[in-house]
Formats: sequence, C-alpha cells, structure tokens
Amino acid sequence: MHALLTYYLSVFLDSYTDEPTSSSFFFGFMGCAAALVFACFGAAYGTAKSGVGVSAMGVMRPELVMRSIIPIVMAGVIGIYGLIIAVIVSAAISVSSYSPYKGFAHFAAGLSVGLSGLAAGMAIGIVGDAGVRATAQQPRLFVGMILILIFAEALALYGLIVALILSTK
Amino acid sequence: MFLLNILDDTDPYFWAFIGVGLAIGVSVAGAAWGIFITGTSLLGAAVKAPRIRSKNLISIIFCEAVAIYGIIMAIIMQTKLNEVSELVLDDYYAGYSIFWAGMTVGLANLACGVCVGICGSGCALADAQDGSLFVKMLIIEIFGSALGLFGVIIGIIMTSNANFD
Repeated sequence: MHALLTYYLSVFLDSYTDEPTSSSFFFGFMGCAAALVFACFGAAYGTAKSGVGVSAMGVMRPELVMRSIIPIVMAGVIGIYGLIIAVIVSAAISVSSYSPYKGFAHFAAGLSVGLSGLAAGMAIGIVGDAGVRATAQQPRLFVGMILILIFAEALALYGLIVALILSTK
Repeated sequence: MFLLNILDDTDPYFWAFIGVGLAIGVSVAGAAWGIFITGTSLLGAAVKAPRIRSKNLISIIFCEAVAIYGIIMAIIMQTKLNEVSELVLDDYYAGYSIFWAGMTVGLANLACGVCVGICGSGCALADAQDGSLFVKMLIIEIFGSALGLFGVIIGIIMTSNANFD
C-alpha cells in the first residue's frame, strides 16, 4: 500500500521537475502539428468556399473578380498564423531541456491558434461566398462584406495572441 | 497521469513508422480527392466547351503536386529511421517528431488537395462560360496550394533534429 502510494506520488511529481520526459516531446510536437493542421483546414475551407462564390459570380461580372479575391487572401492569412506558431513551437522544442510544463504549454498554444483558425476560416469562407455573390448584384455591399470579414479574421487573431503568450512560457 | 506511462512504454519506432505511413497515405488521399472533384467538373464542362480541356489540366497538376509533397516528405523521414540497440531520450524525441511531422504533412496536404480540387472545379466551370476568367481563378488556386507547402515546411523543421543513433 505504501509502495503504491509512493509510485503514484512519483508519477505526479514528475511534472514538477525540469528534466524532459519522453511524453513532453509528444505533447510539444502535437501542439506544433495541431497549430498548422487546424489552421490549414480553416484556410482551405475559406479558400474553397469563397472560390466557388467567385467563380459563380465571375461569369456574369468578370470585372469584379479581382476585387473579390479579398476573402481568399484573408483565408490565406489564417494559414500564415498557424505557420507562425508552428515554427515558434518547433524551434522551442530541444532535446536537452524540455520539461512537461513546456510540452503542455506548447500543446495548448497549438490548440488555441489551430482551432480558432479553423473556426475563423470557416466563417471567412461562408461570409466570403455570400458576400461576393451579393456584391455582384449590389455594389454598395462591398464595404459591408469587408467589415464582416475583418471581424471574422479578428477571431483568428485572438487565438494567435493567446498562442504567442503560451508558447513563450 | 497514466497517459505518461503509456507513452514511456510504447516503442518510438511505432510512432515513427506510423508517421511515415501517414505522410504519404493521407497526402495521396488529399490529392486523389482533389483530382476527382476537379476532373468531374472539367469533363462535364468540356462537353459543350471542349477548348477548356488542355488548359484546365493545370488544376489537376496542382492536385498531383500535393501527392509529390507527401512522397518527398515520406522518403526524407524514412532515411532517419535505423535500428538502435539501446533506446535513449533522443530516440523518443525522434519518434514523436517524425510521427507528428507525418501527421502535419498528411493532414495539411489533405486540406490543400480538397481546396485546390474545389477551386479547380470552379475554375473549369467559369472558364467554360468566359475564357478570360481562367487566369483570375488560377490565382485563387495558387493561394490554396500554398497550404500544402506550409505543411512540408513545418514537417522539415520538425524532423531536422530527429535521428536514431
């Protein structure tokens, strides 16, 4: 009974030492992967959904196509956010001193930028699709579409801010 | 907390080999998905506008490039794998880095392949109706194909220090 208690205590106390355990690398790299993969999913959704809208409205109004690439550029920026955090996290993982604390911090950073990028990318895609189709029929809606897209992009920015704070812990 | 013991007990080669398999397998799945999305639209649109047939093969090639990224990364990652007799902490680092690099490359290429496929489909349909739209829609596809490159970049950075020795 006493042996079991000390075993469990030693497992808990492992996280409070500075030395790297093998699991800290697992979570650190999982954070790096999550940052990029989820942000890429969001950027891909945004690009594809807006692209379909652009191709549909470009048939009737070809002169508006270059203005309508704005939602696609904003979706691409979300991929860049994920890339930034993935590069920061993968540079911070070193074999010599990587405690479980850092590993879990980097995992949280990856999840925060990744999942918020996924959500923002989906929002940008759906708003961009509806926005470019509406702007083709009513040109005064262009500014409104841009405003809504900016609010959606800010969501990914919030995730990037939190991830930057977490990854420098 | 028991998860930490499971990670210590599983062999890092398990993770590393699964990573290599995922890098190529999921990338190819993304490329295939994109190719059939673009291909069906291209073939359907070209019935009434056969002039678009050769130009829009570029969209198919963009999707194929995604599979090329996957095979490049899988070959790079598998050169780092060699059997050692005694496992140290460096080997666990290498195993996890190769696994997560494979997941990154595979899933980023999956998203990129589907995105380029959908954009290529829109490109073919728009081109069939108005030939001047082809180049403008291609710009959108290029934005989409950058996502696969992001995955390759991060995969290379992640596995740069990984070695079993």
